[in-house]
Amino acid sequence: MPERLLHRASPATNLLLLGAFLSVALGSESLLVRAGALLLVPSLALLSGEGPRNLVRRGRFLLLFALVLILSQALFVRDGRTLFSFWPRFTTGGLEAGAGMALRFLLIVSSSLLFVLVTDADRLGAWIARLRVPYRHGAVVVLALRFLPLFRHELRAVRDAQRVRGIEASLRTPRGLLRAARYTFLPVLVAGLSRADALAISMVGRGFGLHPRRTRRPCPPLGWSDAAGVILSLLLVAATVVSRQARWP
Amino acid sequence: MTERVEPGEVLAVSGPSGCGKSTLFRVLTGVLPSLVPADVQGEVRVNGDRVGDVGLASVLARVGLVQQDPEAQICTLSVREEVAFGPENLCLSTEEVDRRVEEALARTGISHLASRGTLSLSGGEKQRLAIASVLALRPGALLLDEPTAHLDPPGAAEILSLLACLRKEDGLTLGIAEHRLAPLLPLRPRLLLLDAGRVVARRSPLRRGDLVALGLRDAWSIRRSPLSRQRRPALVLNQVSFGYGEDRLLSGLSLSLFPGEVLGVLGKNGSGKTTLLRLIAGLERPRGGEVVRGAKGRLGFLFQFPHQQIFERTVRREVEIEGRLDDETLRARLAAARLTGFEERPPYSLSLGEERRLALSTALARAPDVLLLDEPFVGQDRENAEWVIDQVLALRARGGVTIIVSHDVPLLAALCDRLLYLGGASDFGEPGEVLAHLEEEGETAFLPSFWDGEEG
Repeated sequence: MPERLLHRASPATNLLLLGAFLSVALGSESLLVRAGALLLVPSLALLSGEGPRNLVRRGRFLLLFALVLILSQALFVRDGRTLFSFWPRFTTGGLEAGAGMALRFLLIVSSSLLFVLVTDADRLGAWIARLRVPYRHGAVVVLALRFLPLFRHELRAVRDAQRVRGIEASLRTPRGLLRAARYTFLPVLVAGLSRADALAISMVGRGFGLHPRRTRRPCPPLGWSDAAGVILSLLLVAATVVSRQARWP
Repeated sequence: MTERVEPGEVLAVSGPSGCGKSTLFRVLTGVLPSLVPADVQGEVRVNGDRVGDVGLASVLARVGLVQQDPEAQICTLSVREEVAFGPENLCLSTEEVDRRVEEALARTGISHLASRGTLSLSGGEKQRLAIASVLALRPGALLLDEPTAHLDPPGAAEILSLLACLRKEDGLTLGIAEHRLAPLLPLRPRLLLLDAGRVVARRSPLRRGDLVALGLRDAWSIRRSPLSRQRRPALVLNQVSFGYGEDRLLSGLSLSLFPGEVLGVLGKNGSGKTTLLRLIAGLERPRGGEVVRGAKGRLGFLFQFPHQQIFERTVRREVEIEGRLDDETLRARLAAARLTGFEERPPYSLSLGEERRLALSTALARAPDVLLLDEPFVGQDRENAEWVIDQVLALRARGGVTIIVSHDVPLLAALCDRLLYLGGASDFGEPGEVLAHLEEEGETAFLPSFWDGEEG
């Protein structure tokens, strides 16, 4: 399948875009601007060729957690006008605080996910090398991205093993919860360490660390995808600044 | 040990689990003690140079090491980048890097995969990629640690034919650590048989007669008592269909297993074998059809990688996860798993065979009516494999159903009451019938006779 939009863009453009989304999430107090930026994230993913089913699968847990954030704020913040007087008492201030927190959370996590989805790790490594970041440090970023899916797979297998042995049932008590967390952490850690061992041998065996640099490949020229990414980033930053100055709702 | 390997020679290293095969390869390449601290005495010379004097990278450029799990040694996200990783680390010119990448891809027959992502490759393709990425450094020798362990029979046959080709056309020196030696016979290898870190037998060249004489023949003779006739099946799959995303792995699969039956599941990598076990265990829900387990339906599941189902800090605590045991019961259970004296050992310090025995013994402690075993014989020596077989036969005698996913066709054919082949046209029946159908279909790598090997 041909690469589209952000998949074609330089890692630098994608990083700039991520920075712009984070500036909205952390810098703008306007719920409208944050909500608008949040809508842009799945739109960009779709335009870049990511499947809608994939987005729904990844997004549903985020939305669920965002809902929990809204409810927790709505239950405990009592500022503003009362919307429902019966228990639980919801106020406009509580809902605003919840919505603000949920939007901030969703924007930070979803834009980071978008960056991981559309950025080619090997291209990112080459680009980091151009910034004169030591090769060893740049390689860490590439390896982290390479191993994310493997850890996800490992985590799923460990949880399945817990289900098969009936360990899942003990999640109802705090002690059981702690035990389940330990039972998840330990096998995943062991898997990570054993993979790290094999990986280190494989990398050193192929000359990693022999020289402070590696063969540098020319980066592909910037294209219209990069232009679109830069313009969008500038617009997002401008919206952040203006919304702060003008105190947009 | 003192050994000398000549250029172009094929060295087969075998022996029971934990005998030192992988350690030997790591010492030969200088990984031990350069990368992993270890007490290594004596010296290793490659092309006359002492390994400790010339530096690890320089040695590994002469002697490439392909480890057992190809997945764990891939460090980039695309095939081309992976093969280029080594030459680029040597700071070669981009033209030279490209030349070496094309050459290594062509030699391993994966040029068509150059632009593919590494995450989407099959097991066989990943093994070829691991070999290509080492060949790009143009080593004179290649050490491969159980290169076919994770591969389906056709994939394993491809890798063995690739190795034969590399040796014949490029004169590459090969070191191959393997449990199954018969398929290596065409390479006319010299055998080093290890036990507890020592060489206990040498044969040059290795012949079929040597395998019989040394008790290394990959043949199984398993006595199974006849099963009593039962009317009610213990496990039924009725028109089961399943797939991930748009891909359909299983389509309308139906079978019934009666108490005591042992089912062997064969198929190529990615044909849905592990998925079938997950469906039976209730870890996946079928898209169509149903899985019906018997009234009690207690389940035991041995995962392919036992570390994923070991959770505690000591062997004792691991065995007691489901409930405290008195000392006598605990000792008896550990003795049955041949783990006597391991009570206070951390489970992660055990060898793979010991880990697997521990995991299987905790699965059996649930007194399962259905036992699911995912690749229980990978990386296992004969003694460990026989222990697993004993557990299966004991469960069979008690009327429990066992389903074994494995690439070890000779063993499945000898142990199982029925075989299920998952592939384009799935086949279920008596082992003889299923194997005859596979022969008709030209799937020769799935036939036990293929693994007898022909002397070169």
